Amino acid sequence: MTLVRRGVLLLALPVLLFAAWWVASAGSTDFYWPSLSSILAAFGRTWTWDRVQADVLPSLGRLLAGYLLAVVVGVALGAVIGSVRWVRALVEPLLEFLRAIPPPVLVPIVILLSGIGDRTKILVIVSGCVWPVLLNTVEGVRGRDEVLSDTCRTYGITGPLRLRHLVLRAASPQIVTGARQALPIAIILMVISEMMAANEGLGFTVVQFQRGFQIPEMWSGVLLLGLVGILLSLLFRAAERGLLGWYHGQRAGRREW
Amino acid sequence: MLEVGNLHKVYDGHGRRVTAVGDLTFTVPEGQFACVVGPSGCGKTTLLRVIAGLLPATAGEVRVRGSRVTAPPAGLAVVFQEYGRSLFPWLRVRDNVELPLKAARMPRARRAALAAEALAAVGLSDVDSAYPWQLSGGMQQRVAIARAIAYQPRVLLMDEPFAAVDAQTRADLEDLIRSVWERLGVTLLFVTHDIDEAVYLGQRVIVLSAAPTTVADDLAIDLPAARDQLTTRADPRFTELRGRIYARIQKAKVPQAEGTPA
Amino acid sequence: MVAVAARAPRVTGRPVALGVLGLAVFALALEVGPRAGLVPIRYAPPTSQILVTLGEQVGRSAFWVALLDTLRTWAEGLLIAVVAGIVVGVLLGSVPFLRAATATTVEFLRPIPSVALIPLVIVLYGPTIRSTLVLVVYAAFWQVLIQVMHGVADVDPVARDTARSYGLGAWARIRYVVWPTALPYVVTGVRLATSVALILTITGQLVIGSPGLGKEIDNAQQSDAVRVVYALILVTGLLGVLANLATRFVERRVLAWHPAIRREEVTPA
Repeated sequence: MTLVRRGVLLLALPVLLFAAWWVASAGSTDFYWPSLSSILAAFGRTWTWDRVQADVLPSLGRLLAGYLLAVVVGVALGAVIGSVRWVRALVEPLLEFLRAIPPPVLVPIVILLSGIGDRTKILVIVSGCVWPVLLNTVEGVRGRDEVLSDTCRTYGITGPLRLRHLVLRAASPQIVTGARQALPIAIILMVISEMMAANEGLGFTVVQFQRGFQIPEMWSGVLLLGLVGILLSLLFRAAERGLLGWYHGQRAGRREW
Repeated sequence: MLEVGNLHKVYDGHGRRVTAVGDLTFTVPEGQFACVVGPSGCGKTTLLRVIAGLLPATAGEVRVRGSRVTAPPAGLAVVFQEYGRSLFPWLRVRDNVELPLKAARMPRARRAALAAEALAAVGLSDVDSAYPWQLSGGMQQRVAIARAIAYQPRVLLMDEPFAAVDAQTRADLEDLIRSVWERLGVTLLFVTHDIDEAVYLGQRVIVLSAAPTTVADDLAIDLPAARDQLTTRADPRFTELRGRIYARIQKAKVPQAEGTPA
Repeated sequence: MVAVAARAPRVTGRPVALGVLGLAVFALALEVGPRAGLVPIRYAPPTSQILVTLGEQVGRSAFWVALLDTLRTWAEGLLIAVVAGIVVGVLLGSVPFLRAATATTVEFLRPIPSVALIPLVIVLYGPTIRSTLVLVVYAAFWQVLIQVMHGVADVDPVARDTARSYGLGAWARIRYVVWPTALPYVVTGVRLATSVALILTITGQLVIGSPGLGKEIDNAQQSDAVRVVYALILVTGLLGVLANLATRFVERRVLAWHPAIRREEVTPA
């Protein structure tokens, strides 16, 4: 397939949908469904660099801080728990219960314990994101290949080298799964923690628009939230490709048989 | 050199006791290429794992170069049958070969030199920056062999290393391992189910009985040292030795019916 | 989203005892900690008090109404999402042209966080069950869709060609070739969707004020009834656990018919 045809195929539907939205909503007088053109205008008006700096960047910063902290803690704990059989047996039902609690429900508790502030918001994100990472790390570490394990024992590969290669890198596909499951949770928690208890931030701003019935601005905020989600997803994909290039290559090779 | 003394290994589990190894005693002198054959399920792999220190013995002992084996001993390398699973897929070929040396804290320059030498010895110098899964099965096993070579072991154990490759590749690998052994002078214990391969490769063939395993026969292979796939295999002495081992194994299969627990 | 088909080993004996011990130790720590002053007792009541409060809650009819509303929203949303996800997924997955044409749209729409819709549904539908339902369906749909599309794409080309050469019509092919291959993926998708649906159900009730347990939690928090908050959180956790157990059970039954290869494989999403 030629590059042009390929490009057309990829872009055709999105462009079509966008155009359809534009046309269908043009000249709309419905209060709740403004025209796409007015939404885009509001977007440009609202999300100036000042506001981005004041509201969006801090939100993203907290999101990143909470997410990365959750990944580090989850992997560290998960590696320990996954490696020692009796610890895993001891802790697994408890973890399954804690992980089953829908993360948003913990927001009121964290607020009670830690007040309203950056630390709380980060804690909220960590409290929800750590579970998928932790549990998937435990799975990944546990399922390590016996032959690889024997190889390490035979050749005297111990200590940090063993931790890095046999434990962590072998489990990395599963760990990345956990990290991928944790990302939408991080976004959800960031937004609702700001909708529930904040005085600045992306979620807070959008809720303010909604409460003030500034509808085109609210829509523009919804759009921005969508874009944030898409951007983070792309970043994650890129990071995953770098980390798991070997894994995808290996699976592709096996598939050919 | 390798001494196995009254080795006895019992597996306990699921309400059954399985005597994998009954009573094994043999010694492999320094630098010898010894092959081990036996009927299926005769505990060949168990024997190898005990010698490699990966499995504790129930009774008896193994000595490698004088010291008792309680854990994987230094100076001993193992090449496993499942080459695909013994190589690290996230490391390039040369990094795979270098990893044991890195664990031994060898300086980088020396590591690289040894790895390059080992890869050259197995004929893989031009794929050193590839990933294992980009290579064919035979090439992957060569990488595993190169890794063993670079480790500079005194004893090399191989557990049916060529069972999972096709016949032509196997022939190449057999010749390769023979030349590697000649160059390095390691003590080589080679476990296989293929009688022809055992006779072709070894200076000596140890034949195991069925479980509970003991040494059923121990033959010296008095074929010329220069082995060749065509001529050696056509040698009448080859056929004789092969036939003897084959008959021995057939005989060894019979007690299996009485020997194995229900 | 990479998902692992749930491994379901039969656990008996010592590991179970240890697991129970772990739970017991946790409950004990949460009992002793607040009483010993390690955490402020005002904001972290001891386990015993939480359990007592839970008992009280169970006696209230408002609790059961909220629970029922929660279950209703969850189940309805999940059902719609699963059906839609399967239908659309099979359609898009089986027709190569459609798959290619919709690829970018799917990848574009999918990462949009469902919480972005919250302001929209508030102004459109207010604090009703429908608002939350929209969130739940939106979020759960993508989970199912992605998995189903992968499942359909995983069909062995040899099997498909064989079916075609034997003259099996499109419907028969779907039934005998596509569906069995896609089934483990579908089950994985349902499992993920179930958990996501619960999260969004509670989120909607918490943030939008739709009737349900989330709203009760919010009410309790507003009126500083800390113990009630904890008791209700316990209930939501139990719901989540039950859902996990149920899906694992279903998975085991369904996948018992399938070769064990699927069980260990880390499937792409």
